[in-house]
Amino acid sequence: MKLLGWRQILLALAGFGLIVAALLIAGAVPAEAIQTVVERALTRPAGWRNIIKEATPLLLLGCSVFIALKVGLFNIGADGQFVIGAVCSAVVALNVPAPINIPLAILAGIVGGCLWAYPVGLIKAYRGGHEVITTIMLNNIAGFLTFYLVSGALKDPNSQQPSTAYISDLSKLPNIIESGPLRINIAIIIAFFVVIATWFFLKKTTVGYEIAATGENPNVAKFSGINVNRIMIRTMTASGGIAGLAGALQVLAYEHRFYGNFSPGYGFDALGVALLAGGNPLGILASGTLFATIAESTNVLSRTGVPKGLSFILLGVLVIVFAAFRYRKEANRGSDS
Amino acid sequence: MRGITKVFGPVVALDQVDLTVESGHIHAIVGENGAGKTTLMRVLYGAHPANEGSIELNGQPVSFRNPEQAIRAGVGMVSQHYAIIPELTCLQNLLLGAEPSLIINQQDAKSRATDLATQMGFQFNWDQQTSELSPGQAQKLEILKLLWRNAKILILDEPTAMLAPEDADLLYAKLHELTQTGATVLVVTHRLPDVMEHCDRVTVLRGGKLITSIPVSQTNPSQLAEQMIGVSVTHHTLTESHPGAPILTAENLTILGDKGQQAVKSASFILHQGELVGIAGVDGNGQRELFHALMGLKPFQGTAVLDGQNLRDLSTQQRIVSGLRLVAEDRHHEAVIESWSIVENTSLGLHRLPNLKKGLGINRDSQLALATAATEQFPTKFDNIRQSFRGLSGGNQQKVVVARALQENPRAILAFQPTRGIDLYVADLVYRELIEATRRGITALVVSFDLDEIMTYCDRILVMNHGILTEVPPELRHDRQAIGRMMVGATP
Repeated sequence: MKLLGWRQILLALAGFGLIVAALLIAGAVPAEAIQTVVERALTRPAGWRNIIKEATPLLLLGCSVFIALKVGLFNIGADGQFVIGAVCSAVVALNVPAPINIPLAILAGIVGGCLWAYPVGLIKAYRGGHEVITTIMLNNIAGFLTFYLVSGALKDPNSQQPSTAYISDLSKLPNIIESGPLRINIAIIIAFFVVIATWFFLKKTTVGYEIAATGENPNVAKFSGINVNRIMIRTMTASGGIAGLAGALQVLAYEHRFYGNFSPGYGFDALGVALLAGGNPLGILASGTLFATIAESTNVLSRTGVPKGLSFILLGVLVIVFAAFRYRKEANRGSDS
Repeated sequence: MRGITKVFGPVVALDQVDLTVESGHIHAIVGENGAGKTTLMRVLYGAHPANEGSIELNGQPVSFRNPEQAIRAGVGMVSQHYAIIPELTCLQNLLLGAEPSLIINQQDAKSRATDLATQMGFQFNWDQQTSELSPGQAQKLEILKLLWRNAKILILDEPTAMLAPEDADLLYAKLHELTQTGATVLVVTHRLPDVMEHCDRVTVLRGGKLITSIPVSQTNPSQLAEQMIGVSVTHHTLTESHPGAPILTAENLTILGDKGQQAVKSASFILHQGELVGIAGVDGNGQRELFHALMGLKPFQGTAVLDGQNLRDLSTQQRIVSGLRLVAEDRHHEAVIESWSIVENTSLGLHRLPNLKKGLGINRDSQLALATAATEQFPTKFDNIRQSFRGLSGGNQQKVVVARALQENPRAILAFQPTRGIDLYVADLVYRELIEATRRGITALVVSFDLDEIMTYCDRILVMNHGILTEVPPELRHDRQAIGRMMVGATP
């Protein structure tokens, strides 16, 4: 069980090569751009702060997608579950007094995410409706529904934008480190432990074994006495719960309010995070951090005139390269049978 | 065929094999699984090019690079798995790839097809969907497909594997008629009685090497068996059964098939402690549905009781915990996960047994002990117990699957074709282990499409035909013909 194999290292190098190539195409001088990235994103506490902030939802949503992938479901709906979790959490944080506000707000986020994913499992298990279709639909519903809510019922009357009011300081998740521009919120610690818990759950428990069996071959799982429908529904629901937790932490730790178009597409980046993690949930720590670093780097570069779309190119190529490695390996393995 | 050598990666499948087949003969190729029978035939009809060696047809050297070239030269093969597209009609399947013209004249094609079928004494409803054909009919259609393409040399791979004994005799009678008209037939088989009764000449392969090629009249079954296996076969006597208390009781089981038909009709039986019971029958007569229902994978009407527990109240998982075990029919789709290791696969299904639990997880030590025991039950070849299951040969995979069902104190083992894909020698071992297990106080029910296997090893024989389960009366227990008649629904 290796966290970082040569393949991942090679991947990082390939990614680096691609940065250079993409920069040249974008018309920037690679050496200068890299210097900018290193100076402003990678070596400054403010850069670290942004990377950590960006990594929090990516780690959690990576776990969400990973766990569903393990049972054989492609949860494209993590984004919608994230948004629903966030709005539920914001409502509770705005209306419930301390000290139960934070636990309740987190719980509300988890429950919201679960509820948004549960029907996907049901439809898949009992009607054979493909989860990719249903989750994409639910993403749209989540996006429009929450936009409607923050434009109306939940809108802060004092705001020009479709947004809720800011939550009180008592509802905010605390920073554990605050020195100058460097701020590390407790949310990243929670995310870290969720990754560890995901690893433990999938690799060490009997239920994890059953999830893996179902994901590999549902029919064999059925013959092995595993209740395939139940395990699919529960895993999908858990996946939604983790995505909802990510939404809650996003509100309570970083954004401190909910607004229209809340997610910049974290749920979709998470697909790449989960894929890049390979077979081991602990790989999410590496791939999530990598994604966050790339996001922050292009963010810094955009201030020097390099288009921000660079990150999409980079992440896209990264995922393709990885997939090529992975399926090549599987194809090689399959040919001897 | 001279000096044929075929290499797959590191494996030498055929090593300098010579084969001479006289025209107008029925020539049998026998050997165990993996002996190279099918590979040799595939070389002959162009599916695998040989690495070395030459082929002559009627004195002319030929080399077929693909089956299309072979069929044009009059060489065709019916595989063990029929190449029939179930969604098409019989006529469409017959014509597929050999359409007489760009635009098919249905009437003309149909009358020509009927002529051809009549010559062979076959009858087909040409507009019928081939998915409705019985295995025997499908095989006839496959043979017609070759004749339609003017094949003069027909290769049949295990042609009687799916047929009832009477149909098998009929098939050979037809093949004889074909040879009278100048055709040559090559039969790949492991059924020695077929060889002795119906073939002119027999070639024995073992481990990719030619052992012998002689006229059938100059050999006998035990000599052939010895040559196939390489060691002399000793006939052990089976320990006698002393049936004890009932373990699994089924009463009036009615089970619906996938198409809503009654796949099993009011079947009743009792399995006692200490006996191995066999279900004889042609594939597709309800055996599959019966096993699935007993395992909780399909609903049923009626009652089934395992050690006093009503099966209806138990999930598949609970049935396994109560001691019910299944050796599933389709290894890859029902029994194992090929990308997993041997260790992970042996615990599959048994993973909720108290013995394998440790806290929230699986006890890794017990899991490893279980895998070790399962691989030691039969001589299983593997490099590392944590290697992926895919790396095992089919025979070794099957050994692990059967061995798994024998672990962790089973009470009743349901085995569907447990010796599928394994050598005669190990097949014998599998049955002996099953029998020994029953003698230690459990029960086992076996489905096999090989009647000889059932007659050799089972204490009692049930026959399944069109969903109706009947027991063979003790006095007919050794009467092959009578059981064969029961398999097709006739009176014994």
